[in-house]
Amino acid sequence: MTMFIIRRFTSAVLVMFAISVLTFLIFFATPGVDPAARIAGRSATPQIVAQVKHEFGLDRALPIRYALMMDHLFIKRDLASYVNIGDPVVPQITAAAPVTISLVLGAAVIWLIVGVLGGVIAAANRGKFVDPLIMFLGIAAVSIPAYWLGEVVNLITQGGLHSSIFRWVPSSGYVAPTQSLTQWALHLLFPWLTLAALYSGIYARVLRAELVNALNEDYVRTARAKGLSERRILMRHALRCSLVSIVSLFGLDFGALIGGAALLTEVVFGLPGVGQLTYNALQNLDLPVIMGTVLYGAFFIVLANAVVDVLYGFLDPRVRVA
Amino acid sequence: MTDDVLLRATDVVKNFTMRSRGSGPRVVVQAVAGVSLEARRGETLGIVGESGCGKSTLARCLVQLTPVTSGHVEFNGVEITGLSRRRLRPHRREMQLVFQDPYSSLNPRRKVGDIVAEPLRISHFGDAEHTRARVAELLSTVGLDPASVNRYPHEFSGGQRQRIGIARALALNPSLVVADEPVSALDVSVQAQVLNLMADLQRELSLTYLFIAHDLGVVRHVSDRVGVMYLGEIVEMGDAETLYERPLHPYTEALLSVVPELDDGTHPPRDRIVLTGDVPNPSHKPPGCPFHPRCPVAQAKCAVEKPTLVELSPGRSVACHFPRHDS
Amino acid sequence: MPESTDPATPLLEVDDLKVSFATRDGVVRAVDGLSLSVGRQEVVGIVGESGSGKSVSMYSLLGLVRDANVTISGRVRFEGRDILGLPDEDLRVIRGRDVAMIFQDPMTALTPVYNVGWQIVEQIRAHEDVTKAQARARAVELLGEVGIPDPARRVDLYPHEFSGGMRQRVVIAMALSCHPRLLIADEPTTALDVTTQAQILELIKKLQATYGSSVVLITHDMGVISEMADRVVVMYAGRPVEVGDRREVIRQPRHPYTWGLLGAVPRVESKRNRLVTIPGTAVSPLNLPVGCAFAPRCAHRFEACDQRPDLHGQGAHLDACWLSDEQKVQIRARVAATGVTT
Repeated sequence: MTMFIIRRFTSAVLVMFAISVLTFLIFFATPGVDPAARIAGRSATPQIVAQVKHEFGLDRALPIRYALMMDHLFIKRDLASYVNIGDPVVPQITAAAPVTISLVLGAAVIWLIVGVLGGVIAAANRGKFVDPLIMFLGIAAVSIPAYWLGEVVNLITQGGLHSSIFRWVPSSGYVAPTQSLTQWALHLLFPWLTLAALYSGIYARVLRAELVNALNEDYVRTARAKGLSERRILMRHALRCSLVSIVSLFGLDFGALIGGAALLTEVVFGLPGVGQLTYNALQNLDLPVIMGTVLYGAFFIVLANAVVDVLYGFLDPRVRVA
Repeated sequence: MTDDVLLRATDVVKNFTMRSRGSGPRVVVQAVAGVSLEARRGETLGIVGESGCGKSTLARCLVQLTPVTSGHVEFNGVEITGLSRRRLRPHRREMQLVFQDPYSSLNPRRKVGDIVAEPLRISHFGDAEHTRARVAELLSTVGLDPASVNRYPHEFSGGQRQRIGIARALALNPSLVVADEPVSALDVSVQAQVLNLMADLQRELSLTYLFIAHDLGVVRHVSDRVGVMYLGEIVEMGDAETLYERPLHPYTEALLSVVPELDDGTHPPRDRIVLTGDVPNPSHKPPGCPFHPRCPVAQAKCAVEKPTLVELSPGRSVACHFPRHDS
Repeated sequence: MPESTDPATPLLEVDDLKVSFATRDGVVRAVDGLSLSVGRQEVVGIVGESGSGKSVSMYSLLGLVRDANVTISGRVRFEGRDILGLPDEDLRVIRGRDVAMIFQDPMTALTPVYNVGWQIVEQIRAHEDVTKAQARARAVELLGEVGIPDPARRVDLYPHEFSGGMRQRVVIAMALSCHPRLLIADEPTTALDVTTQAQILELIKKLQATYGSSVVLITHDMGVISEMADRVVVMYAGRPVEVGDRREVIRQPRHPYTWGLLGAVPRVESKRNRLVTIPGTAVSPLNLPVGCAFAPRCAHRFEACDQRPDLHGQGAHLDACWLSDEQKVQIRARVAATGVTT
């Protein structure tokens, strides 16, 4: 098992390396694009462009350029945006990260609870009215784009009903938990619910399908022949065997979201997380920031994949032998 | 050289290299551990054994579907081991396979007519008219309505699907048909129909069968000669009648003794030799005779020295230091 | 509580059991009037091919048919008590404790994520008020009894760490953990090798003698019936076509389907020139004939066959065929001699 973990994480490191090279090549080796001009930004003077050229070794060989870029990004950590002149990239990301983490963690707790409950209730009552109802709600949730839902929520909580029912909802923005825990939670409440809505739908549907499959398996037939109650069979046998797919799904979703995939939710609710940072950088074509956030996001996705693979081994004893 | 031997295998070995536990040391599994046999023209050679004995791997090696690790296979006097695909093709037409699972050996998305016509098309049999006629002929030979050409496999029962597989195998007039468990997935009455069909076809078309199965009764019924496999080796080979009446190898004896018997009063009940232990895994082959850990009559020599397949009487070979029924 | 522990009362009595499914293509009559009884310490074999209804009939006894479109009618009494139509919570007490069932494929019969000890303990504690430690000790004992070497260590292993034959032993150990009076075994050895099959059948026989339980053995293999069963029920198209003492049914079969079934099996002991075949294909359960279900494939059918025959006969050997006794004897002799059913 330990060998497996070591090998898995080694390959994760190799994948990260490959991604960094690929990202670098996309940004700096695309023919026809002058990377110096890009980095320097739209309003750069020729001196700044020349400075950029020198700093990033753009007149030198490709591997050296790559090495210099990585050096600026990770070691010296002084890769600076030329759009907001001199603003270093890495601190921007590290400042934005806690916001995204807060958003994703809270939403994850909610969507896991709602999704699993929904899936279990639907499977336990398959064929009855509750089942298609939950599935319909699930698909509705999946189909609604986060930004639209977010805006509608905002409209209601910040607009029309702000003075009456939703008086307690603070205006959009983020408050660090170190400042005030209640404010932190209140500011994040509706973003949590909005982000969780989409994922609850997916998880409820996936879990229901897995559970119904599991309930048709031979081992469930054996469990029934043993005289166990349907409830026990559902919770202890079917659910336990369906968990694997939910866990792996969760790992991947969580990793992607931490990496900044909750972009639109952050923007709609004015949360200064990594997603919003990426969004703004894309709008301004702020190349260094984009590079930074892309690598940041990729890192979490790769990490999440590796963790999920290892978790598989713990959850499904058959995998350990293979 | 006109020989009445159609297929000759000499010391065929097939190894698979596997990693245990995903990251442990490499383990070499000998699925086929040096098999030599001959299939004569017009006969049915039965190969019988339990799971893990390597009989299916052997079948695939003989028709070169899987490359052998070492050893030689001669077909019609010509060495076919290691031939390139192109040079193998003319021989491939002469040897065809029928598979076990009638539900997965036919492409569900193709019509029956196309499935049976495929070998004809690949070898440029003739124009569309000729091909159609041949397909219709093949289908009626196997007892199916020629109008089935436009239907899909899922519209047929297991037994009928197996007939389609047989029709496909016969398309190019092969001389050798290798049947790998062709009736195991079928009900008893359907099995009987397919076996009778195969016997009829053998007579009509002068086919040679290599019939691989785990069901001892089926193998006895169809075979002229039988080879018994255990852990990748042939442990006994001989004429079907004599092998079943007087088995020489302790494994054959035990195997035959525990087949559930029909007590219909036509013969005295057998003594049952129930072996202990599991059917072994080819990745853990014992030293010496592969069967010795489970052998009821094993002696000290058996754990040390591996017995070779020796011809005790014309047509009867056994790989054992202490064969039974010493005549 | 069993209503009757009188040894003369049959352990299980099935009366005109019918199981049908409403499907899009029509009504599928999987079991169409099965009656049988199982005495104490008796082994009853139910033999038939796929589609004969042999498995569905036993599943429906225990409420294991979970299809919402199923209709079950008839009467089933276990130890004198009516169990068909009991609510699931009452059936649950019987399942696993009084009547145990084992299935065909040992590779998928056990939950893969729990070790075998846990699964056996789960069954014991579902029916008996014992501590985990007590149940676990019993599990180790049971594993030893079914011939698993080193049971104290193996009790903590996962199902995939056992071979097929060993897994089936675990399944048997689990089934017998609460000392059921009846064991229903649905093709328990079909997925196993011959030598392993022999071990498992021997094990079942041994345990049956030790625990004094009755066994209903469902199989398609007449040879297995011959070795294991005291009485036989031959099923075709959901109906019983012949019932009787094992020896009598095998040596003097009376129903054309039984002749066909016995004649179609290639035997190890002797070689027949041609296997007896039953012409045609199995009847579709969507379209059961009004009369005898076997008539469309029977070479000896005549006008009477348009009316459905019920099981009849003298003594314990019954069959559902309109042919007269003399005709049956003649035809049987002919079939045995020539190997042809016509």
